[in-house]
Amino acid sequence: MKKVLLVRYAEIHLKGLNRPYFERMLVDRMRDALQPIPARIEREQGRVFVYDVPEQQLAEAARRLCTVFGIHSVSPALCVEKDWEAIRQAAISELADVADKPSTFKCFAKRSDKRFTMTSEQICRELGHALLEAYPNLSVDVHHPKIKVTVEVRQSSAFIFSKELRGVGGMPVGTNGKAMLLISGGIDSPVAGYMIAKRGVSLAAVHFYSYPYTSERARDKVVELAKIVSRFAGEMDLYLVSFTEIQLAIYDQCPSSETTVLMRRLMMKIAERIANNCGAQALITGEAIGQVASQTMDSLACTDDAVTIPVFRPLIGFDKEEIVEKAQQIGTFETSIQPYEDCCTVFVPQHPVTRPKVDQLRASEALVDFEPMIQKAIDEAECMKISQFIFD
Amino acid sequence: MIYFDNSATTRVLNQAADRASRTMTESYFNPAAAYGAAFSVEKEMNAARSFAASVLHVRPEEVYFTSGGTESNNIAVFGALRAARGKKRVVTTMVEHPSVYETVLAAAKQYDAEVVYAPLNPDGTVAVEKLSEVLTPDTVLVSIMHVNNELGSVNDLEQIGAKVRTYAPNALFHSDGVQAFLKYGFDRMPCDLYSVSAHKFHAPKGIGLLYVRSGVRIAGGQIGGGQERNFRSGTSNTPAILGMDTAMRLYQENRSVWHQNMSSVKIRLFEDLSSLPDVVLNGPSLEKGALHILNVSFLGVRGEVLLHALEQKQVYVSTGSACSAKKIGKNRILHAVGIDGARQESAIRFSFCPFNTVAEADLASEYIAEQVQLLRRYKRR
Repeated sequence: MKKVLLVRYAEIHLKGLNRPYFERMLVDRMRDALQPIPARIEREQGRVFVYDVPEQQLAEAARRLCTVFGIHSVSPALCVEKDWEAIRQAAISELADVADKPSTFKCFAKRSDKRFTMTSEQICRELGHALLEAYPNLSVDVHHPKIKVTVEVRQSSAFIFSKELRGVGGMPVGTNGKAMLLISGGIDSPVAGYMIAKRGVSLAAVHFYSYPYTSERARDKVVELAKIVSRFAGEMDLYLVSFTEIQLAIYDQCPSSETTVLMRRLMMKIAERIANNCGAQALITGEAIGQVASQTMDSLACTDDAVTIPVFRPLIGFDKEEIVEKAQQIGTFETSIQPYEDCCTVFVPQHPVTRPKVDQLRASEALVDFEPMIQKAIDEAECMKISQFIFD
Repeated sequence: MIYFDNSATTRVLNQAADRASRTMTESYFNPAAAYGAAFSVEKEMNAARSFAASVLHVRPEEVYFTSGGTESNNIAVFGALRAARGKKRVVTTMVEHPSVYETVLAAAKQYDAEVVYAPLNPDGTVAVEKLSEVLTPDTVLVSIMHVNNELGSVNDLEQIGAKVRTYAPNALFHSDGVQAFLKYGFDRMPCDLYSVSAHKFHAPKGIGLLYVRSGVRIAGGQIGGGQERNFRSGTSNTPAILGMDTAMRLYQENRSVWHQNMSSVKIRLFEDLSSLPDVVLNGPSLEKGALHILNVSFLGVRGEVLLHALEQKQVYVSTGSACSAKKIGKNRILHAVGIDGARQESAIRFSFCPFNTVAEADLASEYIAEQVQLLRRYKRR
């Protein structure tokens, strides 16, 4: 009787002929997430099994797998020979720690190996009988059971489990290209990155700071946020770009009510260039319609106009409250709310335009020769490898 | 480097660090042990206690070593409320350090007491003439700080103590003396409880003391081996205690010269800064304010932005108490004295030590003038 993890995948089910590719990617991501816990991972007909994990690390391994995009759920299971007596004993020991209090249960069986002599129905009936005999506290409830005991008789072995841990769903990271996240240090952008990564997109990130006017802690906070996102999204490159020179030029030479939107346009331009250099095919921002002046529909149109590659805004229809809830789930919220000035709040106009016009902004932008400053900012950007395995 | 953030903490004096170091590596014995070597450490520790007592004009047995200001304030506030019976009222101020302000709220909740805030003058001091309005016979604790850590307002504890004895005769009078000790004193201790922290006067962190008037009944701090006369158990932190002793003696010896230095630096810096437009002094006037704290608003410049701009020139200042620098929201202390909005957002606290110089003040104000002029070009228009 071996303890294993039975992993169900999410949307990969819907794939046709290219399904093996997605499965292979999922296994790679699982392997990354399990590092350095020893494990042998095998794919088998719509399931992935994780064998040979040391027993004391099994719970940790299951917890980690639940953060891997592409996984629907994980069940810690007992793996036995395809033999009725072995199955019976395994089911009894599976319920040993929950059967000391009165509870209800129901048996489920799946028999993909039709050579096994008992039918699914027979397995359920016999198993129910065995469990009732072993545990007087338990009774059967076929409609609303508290415990669901499942037996899967497969080609290789039989598996018995009663718990199912929900995974995060989505698609394995790396199956859908790469995109560049504009990360600010606020609540929204890490959530936006998470949501796109969930669709199988690997991430790179860019952060703008205003040295010396923003604190080192503000920068550190962004690194911390990127690390949390990388627990799900895997390794990413974080580009730290000093934005002060451009910012001051905007404030000096452009109309003051347009500064915020102009800043965003220039950030997008820089992000697009870095994206092109590192193979990212789209930008990701945490914008939501109407959240602040720079996120009205007119403003969004103006920022879109600054770049040619697609801009993904997964939070576009979210309320702040919904974003906060998501940030709490992911674990970025507590870090996001640390109060440091970031480059956007250092100098902000009292009354930014809420209905900017693209032509107007292009004209304002043309007042300054930003090209050398953009190039300099990119050349001097610092690139950090952010990995889920850095714990410092 | 120009360090103008001495209210956050100070550099440990070499002599104090040496003594702490020797206590760690040579005379490291537990002062409670029975042999002679340990006894001599105990004697040094008692000498330290006596000296601290003499600075406070109290008796040595009324001085208890603690881990610092926060612990002293916690013991004082919780201890006083835990020991009191019946209907309870606590009088404190809106401008206390969080280790009193938050502790009062927590203790009042736990022991079902009412919290009343004393009326303040616009400069952040307690309005002594109005104090009788809030003091009542059922008041069990009055906790009013000696010197405010952000504004430098100096309270007259002798006057306040007299009011407490008249209008709230059943109350214990506690004062947080963390920013005042060795800078402001009294001929006769006017309080029942007084908190001191060592790292504000060039001694190590993690050490301080609490004065408890003899005969005052408050419930003690930690329980254990019975150190500090069974009031605050835990092996005595002798390196820190003796380091503090050295710093305290040096401070006391040089007191008048050191005070003079800090006060000249403060006055010079403000004179320098006054030549800039839109510079406002927050809190008390230059003469009335604490000799080591200066709070100034540079209207049109965000405090945090200026702080980081100065950091680049290795000039270290603060926008408020370091204990609230990481907290969200408005500044409670400035708000309490009616400083809000742009003036609050642009406030910078400078705090000095005896080793700052007038030349540093001149240099710092040059940098400040430069940055303020630059940053004001980008102010909210």
